[in-house]
Amino acid sequence: MLEHGGRLRQAVARYGGVAADWLDLSTGLNPHGYPVAALPPASWARLPEPDDGLEDVARDYYGCDALLPVAGSQSAIQMLPWLRSRSRVSVMEPGYREHFESWRRAGHEVEGVSVAELRRRLPDSDVLVLIHPGNPDGSRFGRDELLDWHGVLAGRGGWLVVDEAFIDTEPGLSLAAATGRPGLIVLRSVGKFFGLAGIRVGFVLSDLSLLEALKERLGPWAVSGPGREAARMALADLDWQRQTRERLVVEGGRLRRLLTENGLAPAGGCSLFQWVRHADAAAIHEQLAVRAILTRLFDRPASLRFGLPPDETGWCRLQNALRNIAG
Amino acid sequence: MTVLLMLVGCALDWRLGEPALRWHPLVAFGRLVDRVEALLLRPAQGPWRQTLAGFLGWLLLVAPWTLLAALLLRWPALYLPASVLGLYWALGFRSLHEHAQPVIAALKSGNETMARDRASLIVSRDASQMNIEASTIESILENGLDAVFGALFWFVVAGLPGVVLYRLANTLDARWGYRTPRYRYFGWCAARIDDLLNWVPARLTALSYALLGSTGTALRCWRQQAPGCESPNGGPVMASGAGALELRLGGPACYHGILKAKPWLGNGAAPQAEDIERALKLVRNALLLWLSVGLVLAGYMTWSTHA
Repeated sequence: MLEHGGRLRQAVARYGGVAADWLDLSTGLNPHGYPVAALPPASWARLPEPDDGLEDVARDYYGCDALLPVAGSQSAIQMLPWLRSRSRVSVMEPGYREHFESWRRAGHEVEGVSVAELRRRLPDSDVLVLIHPGNPDGSRFGRDELLDWHGVLAGRGGWLVVDEAFIDTEPGLSLAAATGRPGLIVLRSVGKFFGLAGIRVGFVLSDLSLLEALKERLGPWAVSGPGREAARMALADLDWQRQTRERLVVEGGRLRRLLTENGLAPAGGCSLFQWVRHADAAAIHEQLAVRAILTRLFDRPASLRFGLPPDETGWCRLQNALRNIAG
Repeated sequence: MTVLLMLVGCALDWRLGEPALRWHPLVAFGRLVDRVEALLLRPAQGPWRQTLAGFLGWLLLVAPWTLLAALLLRWPALYLPASVLGLYWALGFRSLHEHAQPVIAALKSGNETMARDRASLIVSRDASQMNIEASTIESILENGLDAVFGALFWFVVAGLPGVVLYRLANTLDARWGYRTPRYRYFGWCAARIDDLLNWVPARLTALSYALLGSTGTALRCWRQQAPGCESPNGGPVMASGAGALELRLGGPACYHGILKAKPWLGNGAAPQAEDIERALKLVRNALLLWLSVGLVLAGYMTWSTHA
């Protein structure tokens, strides 16, 4: 198993304290997640039915024609490689490592490719996997450029897979509205922007035949009833989405300024996290951890990812810690 | 008569804005404050001596000008121009706009850095960490009291001497009224006298905000949130104003790495750039309300004395 952010218990075991006292900035999840109301009893008691309205509100929210709810985009990441015969796959690096591992496990010829190299590798790839915006580096791509790439790949039966887990505060970047054409697969998540990582709900946006094949593989009732209901409420709440988008953009700017002022100017990021490259990343990670602040440490390249503090107390603690470390 | 002078004073403020710095009496006054402070503030002295020195300083700076204002009014020829000029100097309604509009413009053009720089001129906050919209609105609501309604109130109550007293006392509070080690004792009088002078105007201002916005929410916020505020006058004004605008302001804030547990003010969504304009409008409507009430009362009194 790969190591991920959000392993708070591990950090507590190593550095001490109790979990409740830790400031967990390791995940990049929205700390002001959607407040899920009480769920109707039927969603717990009955097998989920496909006509509960989830697909409709999701299509409206994403602005696409066809999609498939899955038990977190992770389940799609694991399953997609099995839908292809052995292919040459280029996976953007740095990025969510599960993509690389899943394609490798399914027996494909996988190569990690830096953002600068992506375009050059296009002719040699059957499948190109992008994370957009990049995680943790925050790389952005133009829509037209991505559609060009898709055209090249699809022309020889290839795929462009775009993991848009962190795109919700910048919907203008998304390829969701372009899905439906063969070979374009967009992955979305309600874990990050909606802060509902625990319900494990994500969506695959693509053409009908691919969605059908994926659905076959995943079997019936792939998403739980409570998960479907909570996601349906969150995706339908346009007011909450608008306010949250504005709020996260403001807080993302605040985090960027706070890091910059303390000598850790981010090399990239998005409203939900900032990415800091630093030769002493491991030492900074450690210094923050002894102050019960958990960040995500990356070895290659040496860097840290900072998520948003949940409240003013958290902001204050982070500010103090950064000052003490810098000073 | 007073209400006509008020109208002219407000019109002058709106037409001309703040007097050019070198004609601004408060700039010269500021230099005097520095001199008196240098003369009287001895941090080595005990608390009582420092407090007494602060009171003496306050008297030295405020009393002569207030008396002079009262004397001036004895010359019938000076009554009108001195009153109008004094009120004009004390009012800062136009300057509220002049400070807030550039923030709004920068926000609307999407230039957050510029908006932050401009907002940091009017709010004493950790500029990089503050919320621009909320801080600007809080400052507009609170300055509505200091720069507009407090001055008008004391003009109505005591004419030119009243408004001079109020403006100078208010300025001294801004200079000395802090709980820092330097001013804790020396500034105590300035702070308490300002609290006293603002007590009634603050409540009238809070009431005006409430009447001109979401009245129920404003009154509820005033009652529930103001007691938790540090400032006895800023509390009602900001809680009522935030409630009237149905915005959420205040709340715990980080000042240079130290958490200050300030209460939440108002109730509703986090403010947007448009809400800064709504706050300015609220202050403007409250000013119009005060002038209208003044006109009606004056009309009624004239009518009843002649009838």
